[in-house]
Amino acid sequence: MADANIEFKGSSFTLSVLHLKTPKLIDIKDDLVKKIAQAPDFFSLVPVVVNIEQLTPPVDYQTIKSLIEELNFTFVGFTGSVDKEQRALIRELGFSFVNTAKANTSSQSTNAQKQSVKETDNRAAVSQSHLYTDKVHRGQIRSGQQVYAKDQNLVVIGSVSAGAEVIADGNIHVYGSLRGRAIAGAKGHHKAQIYCQNLEAELVSINGNYWLSESIEEHWGTPVYIHLNDNELTSSKLI
Amino acid sequence: MARIIVVTSGKGGVGKTTSSAAIGLGLALKGHKVVLIDFDIGLRNLDLIMGCERRVVYDFVNVINGEATLNQALIKDKRVSSLSILPASQTRDKDALNKENVGKVLEELGKDYDFIVCDSPAGIEAGAMMALYYADEAVVTTNPEVSSVRDSDRILGMLASRSRRAELGLEPIKEHLLLTRYSPKRVEEGEMLSVEDVEDILSIPLLGVIPESQAVLKASNAGEPVILDTESDAGQAYQDVIERLLGETVDFRFLQAEKKGIFSRLFGG
Repeated sequence: MADANIEFKGSSFTLSVLHLKTPKLIDIKDDLVKKIAQAPDFFSLVPVVVNIEQLTPPVDYQTIKSLIEELNFTFVGFTGSVDKEQRALIRELGFSFVNTAKANTSSQSTNAQKQSVKETDNRAAVSQSHLYTDKVHRGQIRSGQQVYAKDQNLVVIGSVSAGAEVIADGNIHVYGSLRGRAIAGAKGHHKAQIYCQNLEAELVSINGNYWLSESIEEHWGTPVYIHLNDNELTSSKLI
Repeated sequence: MARIIVVTSGKGGVGKTTSSAAIGLGLALKGHKVVLIDFDIGLRNLDLIMGCERRVVYDFVNVINGEATLNQALIKDKRVSSLSILPASQTRDKDALNKENVGKVLEELGKDYDFIVCDSPAGIEAGAMMALYYADEAVVTTNPEVSSVRDSDRILGMLASRSRRAELGLEPIKEHLLLTRYSPKRVEEGEMLSVEDVEDILSIPLLGVIPESQAVLKASNAGEPVILDTESDAGQAYQDVIERLLGETVDFRFLQAEKKGIFSRLFGG
């Protein structure tokens, strides 16, 4: 077979898109440096697509690319709803132009509309938590250990020791004692819940609302689930 | 292949060296070839507990650096010929050890000995990591007290993630809980965590419970490991530990406070 060694397949990826609102590179750099300082590890070598639709031509593509790379991002290409000439120019200069599904379908829509589309997108992502898959951890999570289920529910088959931390963007289930910290709905998800067979936690938090151990009175030492009720943490008996 | 056993705890002063000495000597008394290694570089203590401090010429760091051979550094125990001690250096610090050379020394020792008992320094830094890295089994020494239990929990996390076995994805280190300085009377009075409490928090198999005993201090100062004091409850409890390490099932003793009889009550025994 001639093509046994390679195969083309379509895949979609999550890429960060950097929207530029000003052509002033100094201001852009300032903002980016501040952003990176908040989470250096997160941004290091992150692939970035630059959206230039809010800039009026001529745009200095080369300098933008250099700036992005200087700040330790991986430059992927440009995107945005721009006219054919500009798109052609970008490609002529040797950069890749990435078409987004959104840019293709609504290339003529206004910024305001796009903003609202984006917001509903985010909300959809969060409320789709019932689609979260489970990250299963077998065995005890010991003091000093941290387990994070990114975009997942976390299931711990074992106890969570005092001084340990379990975090999930979805729900947390502990089939054992919860003595450490549990943070559910970490990315902002008010329907996240925490379940455990014995509640002796140092801290429980859902969507930013938290209890320290001293505020857990009612169901201490019992099987319990914790959820938000009108943005107030509530604990209920599990059995 | 030798069984490499690390005696560790996280917290200091809980009885690691006392337990290492007792376990090492106890296994040797059963006829096994045992080497005891002091990993507490800079705070050399094991030789004192073993009563061989005046016979230290070369140490572990000398061997690591190729300044002495293993045979030059190993000290033969005067009581039991199948036991040797590799002392720590008192003048160096814990950075003097490196994984590669420690591995070579352990491999070399593994050819001649049945058991290699590693006495870990306290803490969770390089020295303690070095002591546990090559271990097959760990004796997690814990006092029935919340801070000690939490530190043991931390060390158990390290055993499961930072050891050679964890890095290579081999069968995990076999963990044993050794509860030391246990006072049933204080447990009854609610001043001390009980065996059940500690087992519940750490959830690893119990290897032994050593009662708080005057005999331990006396033994340490005399350089005679407490396991030789067969009259004392601590000595007997360590003997049970040895049986269990060798696969025997032995009932746990010294878990209940002694009931005072009529005579001792009358005469204030």
